[in-house]
Amino acid sequence: MPSDRRVIDILREDLNLTGTKEGCGAGECGACTILVDGESRLSCLMLAAQLEGRSVTTIEGIASEDRLHPLQEAFVEHGAVQCGFCIPGMVLSAVDLLQRNPNPTRMEIRQGLSGNLCRCTGYQKIVDAVKAAARKIGS
Amino acid sequence: MLVKSDIFRIGHPVPRADALSKVTGQEKYAADYYSPNFVWAAVKRAGVPHARLKSIAVEAARKLPGVLSVLTHKDLPGSNRQGIIFKDQPVLVDAKIRHCGDAIVLVLAEDKPTLNKALLLINFDYEPLPAIFDPEKALEERAPLVHENNPDGNLLQHISVKVGDVKEAFLECTTIIEGSFEVPFQEHAYLETEAGWAYLAEDGRLVIVASTQTPFRDRFEIASALGLNIDKIRVIAPYLGGAFGGKDGLTVQSLLGLAALNSQGRPVKMWWDREESFLAGVKRLPARMYYRLGAKADGTLHALDCRLYFDTGPYAHLSSEIMALAMEHAGGPYRIPHTSIKGWCAYTNNPPGGPFRGFGVPQVTAAMEQMIDMLAAKLKMDPLEIRRQNAVRQGDRNCVGVTLVNSTGALDCLETLAAHPLWQERKKWKESAGSFKRRGVGLACMAHGSGYGPIIPDEANAKIELTDEGKMRIFCGVSDMGQGNASTCLQIAGDILGQDADSMELILPDTDRSLPSGSASASRCTYTYGNALIRAAQAFKQRLFERASTLLMIPTSDDLSLIPGRIRHLPSGKEISLSQLAQLMDPPERTCTHYYRAPVAQEKLELHSSSKVFGLPHILFSYAAHLTYLEVDELTGEIEIKTYLSVSDCGRVINPQIYEQQIQGGIAQGLGYALSEDFIVEEGKGLTPDLSTYIIPTTLDVPEMVSIPVEIDEPTGPFGLKGIGEISINGPLPAVANALADACGIRVSRSPFTPERVLSAMKEKAPHEVKP
Amino acid sequence: MRKVLLPHTPEELWEALSAEPQAAVYAGGTDLLVKLRQGLVDPSYLVCLERIEELKGVQEFGHEVLIGACSTHAYLLANPIIRSNFPVLTRALELLGSPPIRNMGTIGGNICTASPAADSLPPLYVLEAEVEIRSKNTSRRMALKEFIQGPGKTSLQPGEIVSGIWVKKAPGYNLYHFEKVGQRKALAISIASLAGLLRVSEKGVIEEARFAWGSVGPTIITSPEVEKAVVGNRLSRPILEKAACLARSAVEPIDDIRASGEYRRLVSGNLMVRLLTLQREVCH
Repeated sequence: MPSDRRVIDILREDLNLTGTKEGCGAGECGACTILVDGESRLSCLMLAAQLEGRSVTTIEGIASEDRLHPLQEAFVEHGAVQCGFCIPGMVLSAVDLLQRNPNPTRMEIRQGLSGNLCRCTGYQKIVDAVKAAARKIGS
Repeated sequence: MLVKSDIFRIGHPVPRADALSKVTGQEKYAADYYSPNFVWAAVKRAGVPHARLKSIAVEAARKLPGVLSVLTHKDLPGSNRQGIIFKDQPVLVDAKIRHCGDAIVLVLAEDKPTLNKALLLINFDYEPLPAIFDPEKALEERAPLVHENNPDGNLLQHISVKVGDVKEAFLECTTIIEGSFEVPFQEHAYLETEAGWAYLAEDGRLVIVASTQTPFRDRFEIASALGLNIDKIRVIAPYLGGAFGGKDGLTVQSLLGLAALNSQGRPVKMWWDREESFLAGVKRLPARMYYRLGAKADGTLHALDCRLYFDTGPYAHLSSEIMALAMEHAGGPYRIPHTSIKGWCAYTNNPPGGPFRGFGVPQVTAAMEQMIDMLAAKLKMDPLEIRRQNAVRQGDRNCVGVTLVNSTGALDCLETLAAHPLWQERKKWKESAGSFKRRGVGLACMAHGSGYGPIIPDEANAKIELTDEGKMRIFCGVSDMGQGNASTCLQIAGDILGQDADSMELILPDTDRSLPSGSASASRCTYTYGNALIRAAQAFKQRLFERASTLLMIPTSDDLSLIPGRIRHLPSGKEISLSQLAQLMDPPERTCTHYYRAPVAQEKLELHSSSKVFGLPHILFSYAAHLTYLEVDELTGEIEIKTYLSVSDCGRVINPQIYEQQIQGGIAQGLGYALSEDFIVEEGKGLTPDLSTYIIPTTLDVPEMVSIPVEIDEPTGPFGLKGIGEISINGPLPAVANALADACGIRVSRSPFTPERVLSAMKEKAPHEVKP
Repeated sequence: MRKVLLPHTPEELWEALSAEPQAAVYAGGTDLLVKLRQGLVDPSYLVCLERIEELKGVQEFGHEVLIGACSTHAYLLANPIIRSNFPVLTRALELLGSPPIRNMGTIGGNICTASPAADSLPPLYVLEAEVEIRSKNTSRRMALKEFIQGPGKTSLQPGEIVSGIWVKKAPGYNLYHFEKVGQRKALAISIASLAGLLRVSEKGVIEEARFAWGSVGPTIITSPEVEKAVVGNRLSRPILEKAACLARSAVEPIDDIRASGEYRRLVSGNLMVRLLTLQREVCH
């Protein structure tokens, strides 16, 4: 494994985990967001060497055996998914957000997701979904 | 597992069928194809806007280890020309470079680093030619010619339409307003850039999986460009990661086809990176619009004269059609008895123009809706009142003279907006601006015609199959680029056939399996395909009932009911499962198809043009009225949109959730067009080549939006609906412009309204006035 | 193919740097990896600092605080010492980039990239920060404003890294301000920015002021003239307008794809006028 291989390429090409998407390759769109040791990071700006000793979670890894993650359920229920290409990154950023701030306001949700571009939704239903998921997780 | 499997019902906010696979990362887009032995393909692009190609040096690249093939125009078997109406674009340049993104050489390599190295090793010799970058100058006598063989010089199309006698009419007006407006390129910036996968199947057929809005039509373009028989080409369109018109037509397809013919049997992958997408993909046509609008003293619109100049860049693509649609909407949703609307679409060496959600209507709506507000101000009339007074009703004619025979909800939208608290409470809101902020509200009213117009058939073929397992398999014919039409198909078919998500299956467009159903564009996806699907489902239901009644030994099929997985005779309780039924039917009977062609306008217009006009007039229009609350900062010129209200007439709402998705998404793109998306081009070169310099809205840039449907039944539409995909993108730019004028009395004639342009206009208006 | 080295200790770092003196050093990678992709740099070796614990964290030493250079912006935003002592820095970091970029990007990286548009720099300038520079055998401190020499240029010598940033607590300052003007509200490179620290007396008179402007010169701009103009006065419109004029003379903005120099100059002054809104925070 070349130490300078981009993490996004390892995920998509070597591990067949194509859920993580590439939208710009330059850290500007957030489509490649993954969780590294639980924190959101841009996999297009990480190199293989940096994975040593780290645990990585991709979109394929947040549902459990028999249930979706509450965020995934909420995204489906609230119509937050249109073309879906931004969604894996968006969901993982939302996971990071809710870990830091379990009960965010709508504005805090917008701030938490401000690094994930979406061209289809206008963001409103995404905010609705994260708010609903936060309520569900909290209860 | 997750969503309770309700029976699909029209009118219900049924969660989308594709949401689950997308939210788990399981859904495979065209960009997601890999295999153990695949090959990467990419092209070397011109980098200069206008030149004669003299020679190409590929030897160094060919010799690089890991490079399979380096191909030029010499290696192209067919015409090497692609295009939708005019085939004027080379797959690989042979003689002339016409824009910086023209493709010159195609490289196939084992991995991306080798591919990139090979591209750097390719050189080509060229003779620079004088270039032309302004659409009005392009039409002058001595302008350099983009297509030397074009008898009309740099003119792609000139259309002139009139109603009545506008010269006389202006003499009858008490008030006349003039305005000129300029709108820039807009880049689609879909999250999934142009991507595809191609291979030669065992039977020698070319299979292409592409992020495309036009799988059926693509085959024709590929066939003629590469010299193949159309039967030898199969195109598959998975869910697209966004398109908005930018994937209407060929992007990667012909290049992939050529690559697959030269990849020694290995599958080929092409995926444009963001910079290449910006460089080579089509953009919204920039336009310059000169308007003259006249009214009577009481605010009745009487005369409209406008001249529109569109820049199509190097190729025709669908630009003549874009201009035609723009012209049809140039007068807005208003009664104007005398009009003269003239449009010129010119070739230049700028980036290529092409379809983008709205298709010419955002451009003219930007102009006309500002003209209406300017007129209202001059007449000291309320901007909502003047619109109500002049809004078209069913039976009126639009500005090109077409009678509006179908549902026409412009007035209903305005009246609903007028009654809304956001309109009612606007003054109070405006008065409570904070330090260094000014507040304003702005309106826009708009129409959007759907379909292709009178010449190109707007048709679809629906296909349903009852599988062995007794499931209803719907063969979607129109690409789903995120707008949810595939899910809507399930909802429509599910409603008629009484099935739920578990008893239905969806096949995405595949030219081998689905039937030709036209492009995913023109706000026609659900209207046209939906109408075909309803007819197919109803016919299928009858056929299934007839078979079932025979098998259940019941004399008539009157009391039969389709429920998930079975047919039940209600009086006796006798049932047959759909899987049993399937086994007892002949295979051909288990498939039902139906054709639908959308109606077209019958009227002849007073129209002259330099070449054949497609795409004008239309017969079915959606309508909307928008209101925005805007706050501008006096110190920096930054605009913040606080709230956005849209009221839309798109007929009946089949799925309220999908309805809102479309409206909200269009508003967000329209706000980007209004405020931050400046695709800057200088001497044909893009100066905003990526997402760090081309600014699309983030979560913090789009406000909370309220979207209200005005549900007027459209009898010709599936369950009464009309197109919804594009209407909402037409409103934000003029609504924002009007709100800015309301807030501080300025108009910026060239959009987007960046902080710099706004501050400059504010300073010009009141050099020393900055209130605390 | 490039080799990426991941030292876990300072010793491993010095070893790596002496073995490969031409290696490109990075922490979060949000600048370097973008430049790599654009082909602007082409190093054969990369050294990533993200695992070296000694380079992270926030420590108090009396009236001084040492910020580890490899502390991420997100870490600093959550750190109580930073939040309570340096709200002007906190405010800027909140507006920097985006959440995942803040999880990856470090304050040392922001400094060493030395872009005049770097959001952490105006606050660090008004806080009169010093950088601590270490090499295998040496350690020195230097004023940040001397360390940064021009756009993309610092005084770093081969074999050296910025290991930390020293900031003095400034309890006397009772008003802070940071504003950034961008093309949108997140993921925005600053077009113009202003950081300010003020000490205002009980009677509302400005006793001390420090200002720093970003994105309007080859490096961060500071101006003793502007500071002198406000000291001894109240926060009032005429005083701020006068300061704004002086600010416009102090800055040296250029035209670029994001904005013109003329706009930047105008706004550099206007941002001073915004300080009027701090009036309500003044106790008397």
